[in-house]
Amino acid sequence: MSKQLEVEAQLKSFIEENRRREHKYGLLQAILLDIFFVFYSILVVQRAIYYKYFLDLRDLPFSWTQIIIIFFISIVIGTSWALTRTSLSCKLFGVANENKTTKWTTELFGWFLFDITFIAGWIVTKISIVSLFSSDGLNGAGRLFSALFHPQFGIFDDALFAMIETIYIALVATLISIPPTLIISFFTARNLMRENKITFAIYYVLRIILNFVRSIEPLIWAIIFSVWVGIGPFAGMIALLVHTIASNAKLYSEAIESIEQGPVEAISATGANKVQVVWHAVVPQIVLPFLSFTIYRWDINVRMATIIGLVGGGGIGTMLMQYQGLARWREVGLIVIMIAFVVWIMDYISAKIREAIY
Amino acid sequence: MLLKVQNLHKIYKSGTHALKGVSFEVEEGEFLVVIGLSGSGKSTLLRCINRLIEPTSGIVEFNGKDITHIKGEELRKVKMQIGMVFQQFNLIKRKTVLSNVINGKLGSLKTFESIIEKYSDEVYSEAYKCLETVGISDKAKVRADALSGGQQQRVAIARSLMQNPKLLLADEPVASLDPATSNSIMQYFEKINKELGTTVICNLHFLSLVRRYATRVIALRAGEIIYEGSPRDIDENWFKTIYGEEAEEVEIR
Ligand SMILES: Nc1ncnc2c1ncn2[C@@H]1O[C@H](COP(=O)(O)OP(=O)(O)OP(=O)(O)O)[C@@H](O)[C@H]1O
Ligand SMILES: [Mg+2]
Repeated sequence: MSKQLEVEAQLKSFIEENRRREHKYGLLQAILLDIFFVFYSILVVQRAIYYKYFLDLRDLPFSWTQIIIIFFISIVIGTSWALTRTSLSCKLFGVANENKTTKWTTELFGWFLFDITFIAGWIVTKISIVSLFSSDGLNGAGRLFSALFHPQFGIFDDALFAMIETIYIALVATLISIPPTLIISFFTARNLMRENKITFAIYYVLRIILNFVRSIEPLIWAIIFSVWVGIGPFAGMIALLVHTIASNAKLYSEAIESIEQGPVEAISATGANKVQVVWHAVVPQIVLPFLSFTIYRWDINVRMATIIGLVGGGGIGTMLMQYQGLARWREVGLIVIMIAFVVWIMDYISAKIREAIY
Repeated sequence: MLLKVQNLHKIYKSGTHALKGVSFEVEEGEFLVVIGLSGSGKSTLLRCINRLIEPTSGIVEFNGKDITHIKGEELRKVKMQIGMVFQQFNLIKRKTVLSNVINGKLGSLKTFESIIEKYSDEVYSEAYKCLETVGISDKAKVRADALSGGQQQRVAIARSLMQNPKLLLADEPVASLDPATSNSIMQYFEKINKELGTTVICNLHFLSLVRRYATRVIALRAGEIIYEGSPRDIDENWFKTIYGEEAEEVEIR
C-alpha cells in the first residue's frame, strides 16, 4: 500500500513539475516573440512607410547605432508587455491572462501587424497601375503576343530534340533519385527512429540537412552545378536529382509516419525482428504512395528542367533563352507552345497512372 | 504456473496512471477474461504482459522466468510464445490471407528467407492447418481487405496460431463485430483453449459472453483489480460496482 502512495506522490510532483516548466518556457517564448513583433513594427513603419513612401528616398539611410537603439527599445517594450500577460504572443503561447484587455490588445495589435505588412508590401513591390496600362507598354505586349501566335516552325526539329533532352533529364534525375530517397526516408521517419537516442540523433541531423537542401531552389542548384561540372544537361540533371531526393525523402518519410500502427504492433508482437517488421508491416503500406509521389515528381521535374535550362541546364530552356536573347519572338512562340503542350501531356499521363495504381 | 503478474504499475508519459499495482496469476489451460469500463486499463495490462509497452514498475513472470526487463533476442523468443489478437484485426490489408498467416511465423524464420518470401513446404502446410482450424482455408489466396470483419479476425487468430503460442492474448477481439459473429469468434477461442490447451487471456465487454466462455474473471476499475473469481459469482451488485450505478446489463446471445 505504501508503495502505491509513493508512486502516486511521485506522479503528482512529476505532473506539477512538467506544468511549471511548460509555463515558464511558454512565457519565455512569448517575451521573445513580442520583442520581435515590436522590433518588426518599428522597422517597417520607419523604413518602408516613412522613408520610402513619405520621404520617397531612393537609398535608405542605414546605421547600426540606430538599429541597435531600436532593438533595445523593442526589448523594453516587448518584455514589459509580455510580462503583463496581455500581449498577442502570450495569447499565442497560452500564457495570457484571459480578460478584456487581452482581447482588446491582441485584436488591435494583430490587425496593426497585418496592415503595416500589407502596406509595406505594396510600397516595396512598387505596385503601379499606371505602367500596366501605359500605351508604350501595351504596344510592346501586343507585338510580343502576335509573334507568339505566329510561331516559326523552321526550328521545329531542333526544338523537338531539345524537348526530348529535357524530358530525359527529368526522367533520369527521377529514376536515379529512387534508391537514395528510399534509404534516407526510413532514417527520417520519426516513428521508426524515435526509440533510442542514437537513431533519434541520426534522424534529427538528416532532417536538418534535408530541410537545408530543399530550401535551396533547383534553379540555384543548377547554377552551382553548372559552375562545378560545366554548363549543360549534366548540370541540370544533378541539380534536379539533389532537389528531388530532398523533397521526396520528406514526402516518403511522411508517408511512413502516417501508416497504421496496428499492423506494425501485430507483427512485432509475433517476435519478428526489426528488419522483418519494416519489410512486412511498413513496406506494404507505403509502396503505393511512394510510386505515386515518384510519378508526380517526374511530372514536376519536366517543368523544373525547363526552368533550369534557362540558366544553362540544357534542353528546351536553354534554347528558349538563346532565342529570347536575340529577340526572335516567333521562335520563342514555337518553343513556348511546345513546352505548354508537353507539360499538359505529362500532367495528364501522370494523373492517369496515379489513378490507375490506386 | 504460466503467468505471474506482481504489483504492476504503468504510468504513461502523459501522466496517466493506467495500472495501479495489479497482481494475479494464471495457470496453464485457463481461459481468463478481463472486464472493466473503457479506460480501466485492460489493454494496458495485456500490452505490459507481452511487452508491447514497458511497465513502470512491478514484475511479469512468464513460464517461471522474469521477463520484465529482458531485451533483444531474449525478448523476441518470449514474444514468439505469446500470440496476440486485436480489436482492429491489424492484418496487412494488401497482402493475401496466406501471407498474413505466415507473418505469424516470422520470428522463427531467417530474415533473408522472409524478405524474399521463399518459404518451405512445411511452413505452407502449417499455415493451411492454422487456417483450417478457424475454418477459412478456402480464402487463402484472397487479399485480406476483401474479407468481412469476422473473417479478418479469424485470419488474425490463424496468424497467432502460427506461433504455436503457449499464451494467447486477445484485446477485445469481438468489439467491432455483430453479436452472431462475436459468438462464433469466441467459439474459436474456446476450441483453441480446449483442444490445443492454449492458455487464453481475453478482454471482453459483454457479460453474457464472459459467463459463457470464461473459466475465471478479473475486473479492473481505474487500474486496480476489484474482483477476481468465477464468472458465475458476478451478481447485480458486483456488476454495479464494476460498471457504475447507472449501468444496466444488456444481453447478447
Ligand atoms: N499510449 C497512451 N498514452 C497515454 N495514455 C494512454 C495510452 N494508452 C492508454 N492510455 C490511458 O490509459 C488509461 C487506460 O487505457 P486502456 O487503453 O488500457 O483502457 P481499456 O480498459 O483498454 O479501455 P477500452 O475499453 O476503451 O479499450 C486510459 O485513461 C487511457 O487514456
Ligand atoms: Mg482497450
